[in-house]
Amino acid sequence: MKELCVPVPHFQEKENAELVLKVGKERISFSFRVVSFPWDVEDEYSNGKDEVSRSLARITRLKNAISSYDKNWELIQIYTPLEEARFIQVLYRQKKKA
Amino acid sequence: MIKTVDLTKIFRTDEVETTALNTVSMEITNGEFVAVMGPSGCGKSTLLNILGLLDNPTSGELYFSEQEVAKYSERNRTNLRKGSIGFVFQSFNLIDELTVYENVELPLLYMKVSGSERRKKVDEVLERMKIVHRKKHFPQQLSGGQQQRVAIARAVVTRPKLILADEPTGNLDSANGEEVMNLLTELNKDGTTIVMVTHSPTDAEYAHRIVQLFDGHIVTENIKQVL
Repeated sequence: MKELCVPVPHFQEKENAELVLKVGKERISFSFRVVSFPWDVEDEYSNGKDEVSRSLARITRLKNAISSYDKNWELIQIYTPLEEARFIQVLYRQKKKA
Repeated sequence: MIKTVDLTKIFRTDEVETTALNTVSMEITNGEFVAVMGPSGCGKSTLLNILGLLDNPTSGELYFSEQEVAKYSERNRTNLRKGSIGFVFQSFNLIDELTVYENVELPLLYMKVSGSERRKKVDEVLERMKIVHRKKHFPQQLSGGQQQRVAIARAVVTRPKLILADEPTGNLDSANGEEVMNLLTELNKDGTTIVMVTHSPTDAEYAHRIVQLFDGHIVTENIKQVL
């Protein structure tokens, strides 16, 4: 067995979900965050109403948001946004300090 | 080992045009273990099929060992594939009418390897995959985990430089999935380059680098931190 599935109650964008795992005498803590980035919004990346331009703007927005995000956190998963969603959710895990 | 420049794949029907890959540029070096992640429909499998020379890009460049192969003829692509690339699929893709031994032997037959050499190589790889005791069985007589071990044996029997794995644990329970990931890690430690498509963050942890695809674009690449 290598993984445990832990249900996590809903938490806010600025809140962290922290997990502490104890294996024998060793305690390992994990910190996760789900962050919402702008996805389909009007901003400086918007450049036309057609689907190709909108799609490119969404990707550029997401790429820039990810690349400028706090480097102490590593990206674990990008969730699929719902249709017509204005924001996209991304799961991060805090990096361990060396 | 592999380099893509502005790789684009467009699927067209009479009514719809879908851009599965949109100007994807990436580089994979010898000995790397790369995971490609992203939601369904983001272009992961299309990318893997193109890297494995199973499909052609609509535009862009694809280099394999510094040779431009995107416009290779079908015959050249088949030759390159046979000697250099092994595939592992989610649904195993074993031939039900052939035994375990015969399934693993097949790529060697295509490469016209002699009978004695084939026996030696197949026995060696079945031993390594801990499935030699089932060599006379047919795929349907094996568990999912055993079938995937046979599929990996078939992928590595020709000692390819590159293994492409498409959701290799997708049809397995967690114990068998872990075993398959350990096998892939072991092969990578022996020098085989691995590119694996996965939905699973747990499986992606085994890789050195994770490439996140979204709507046919690479949105980020990150080197994994060992926990």
